[in-house]
Amino acid sequence: MGASHGRTKPNEFQELMDKTGFSAEQIKNLRIRFRQLSGNEETISRENLDSIPALANNPIKKEIIDAIFDKRNQHESEVGSFQEIGFEQFLMVMSHFRPPTLKTTVEEKEALRKEKLRFLFNMHDTDNDGIITLDEYRKVVEGILSKSGAIEPETAKGIADAAMLEVASTNVPNMAPDDFYEGITFEHFEQILKGLEMENRMHIRFLDVGTTMRCGRSTS
Amino acid sequence: MEDFWAAALSVLKTWLYLIVGLIMIPAMFGFSLGISETYMNILVKTLEWATLKIQKANIKERFQASPSNSLIQREDGSMEKELEELRRTRPKPPVGGDFTLSDCFYFTHRGIESIVEDEVTQRFSSEELVSWNLLTRTNIDFQYISLRLTLVYGLGIFVRYCILAPLRITLATIGLTWLVIGTSAVGLLPNSWVKSWLSEWVHVMCYRICARGLSATIRYHNRENKPKKGGICVANHTSPIDIVILCNDGCYAMVGQIHGGLLGVIQRAMVRSCPHVWFERAEMKDRHLVTKRLMDHVNDKTKLPILIFPEGTCVNNTSVMMFKKGSFEIGATIYPVAIKYDPKFGDAFWNSSKYSMVNYLLRMMTSWALDCNVWYLPAMHQQDGEDAVQFANRVKSAIAHKGGLLDLQWDGGLKRAKVKETFKEQQQKKYSSMVVGDDSSGSSD
Repeated sequence: MGASHGRTKPNEFQELMDKTGFSAEQIKNLRIRFRQLSGNEETISRENLDSIPALANNPIKKEIIDAIFDKRNQHESEVGSFQEIGFEQFLMVMSHFRPPTLKTTVEEKEALRKEKLRFLFNMHDTDNDGIITLDEYRKVVEGILSKSGAIEPETAKGIADAAMLEVASTNVPNMAPDDFYEGITFEHFEQILKGLEMENRMHIRFLDVGTTMRCGRSTS
Repeated sequence: MEDFWAAALSVLKTWLYLIVGLIMIPAMFGFSLGISETYMNILVKTLEWATLKIQKANIKERFQASPSNSLIQREDGSMEKELEELRRTRPKPPVGGDFTLSDCFYFTHRGIESIVEDEVTQRFSSEELVSWNLLTRTNIDFQYISLRLTLVYGLGIFVRYCILAPLRITLATIGLTWLVIGTSAVGLLPNSWVKSWLSEWVHVMCYRICARGLSATIRYHNRENKPKKGGICVANHTSPIDIVILCNDGCYAMVGQIHGGLLGVIQRAMVRSCPHVWFERAEMKDRHLVTKRLMDHVNDKTKLPILIFPEGTCVNNTSVMMFKKGSFEIGATIYPVAIKYDPKFGDAFWNSSKYSMVNYLLRMMTSWALDCNVWYLPAMHQQDGEDAVQFANRVKSAIAHKGGLLDLQWDGGLKRAKVKETFKEQQQKKYSSMVVGDDSSGSSD
């Protein structure tokens, strides 16, 4: 009686709020969403995310799901990947995409940006050696371009190679033609995307489901 | 000891007489003694009081999360526009394709958005309530407010499980038994208008008893549009109880697969008194056979209108999902019906991947009540130049509009199956044509 399953008191939210930077309202909404995805269980597995129909359209669905279960995105020093994640870990991953508020300072925005870049870097760097090699990059390109035959594998490979070459020439300007370019490090990654305006794009914009009172009931 | 049994027997007898007298007889003859209405009034007042109490306690927190339909705001732009904007900040690369790292970001962003919210997954879980209705199963976030509220809640549990549930189970059993016996008896008569009339009466009576068994309050609107013989009635599907709801107000021919066990017994009994369309399991796969039998039934003007749920699966009554086109290809008159349940007194949605049928029925019988509205819409015909799919969508929009439900294009079958690969490939093709098509120099290294 007086059921307490899944009930979180406001101060427990506080801990999550500090850790992830979401507001209490957003955490509440995300928790409802977590329950929907997990079927009211305590954890989400890859199958739960796999079955979202809108995600099926996405060509890099597998990479995104892997990123969610990637331990590197939990702001701790562990590596590897989870089989299932709980709500707190879900929030940690989603916090990479939290929206900036009016109170976010310039330093915080810089940090947010770096976080997002780190997340995306991790998505490409699957073997976690700190470098995106040509092979890893090619995999991503092939994923996005069609496997169904509209682009031949040769063309996809060519596109990946060309893009890689461009990265190399931007970052190591005096590279001799015989030098072997290891791969894109995180610094190079940041360098390439320096001009990219990410702050206003790569976050989730929560609708303001603010203080709507029910009509006719005065709660004064 | 004997006194005890004698006493128990007399209690049981009184109980049965009460049920027969106060519930069954009115149900059989279609009038009401007002007991249900009184019960509902008390219930509404109690729930209002509970809501006020909870709101007063929440006034400091101000967390009235209204059940809006969306959680996040999405970019409305198409893929082309968004990628343009992402690339705008970078100079065009001198060689190679138009592909840049930034393109991945678009897809990642979209992917994360889909994980946070998508239109389909939320339709397969029960509707969120704005305020708690004193049922344990809907209690997610609500905290201890006051002693009185907890007492009322405890009293509610007692009433629902110890008084209402046995009553309802008794009624349901009586109703179903009567259905089987009654229809078999009527089936013995020779075919005549007497037989049809009796069969209708028996059917409606049993469904009325079942409806009382669920404490269902049903309001029918626009009854002048009720389905007539030789037509097909289509409705949105939330649970098997939809059948009870609709059949309370008229007689329909059912379509479905023959099951074994109790359900099979009921099915076979029903078909003795008036023609329903039951298929063997193997026959269901043969679409032509199915269509032909439905057509034969419909063309015979003496037979009752067929009842079909084109969504093919139970959805949670906040939206209407894709209608399968099979029933719209037959060419008969379609009578759309919209059913909307009020979740305040009990959630009618059957999540068949989560709960078995028995579990679901028990949950129904231990809810407060069932409150629903039924709207009969005017008949629709397939117009010239309209194919079955467009016709199905037109009917679906009409039903969604009338019932206040969201009209979705997604297939209800996604509850269990995954999206076809073809969707993903479409997206890939679109993107790859952007990359290769724009690039005239090609990557001919």
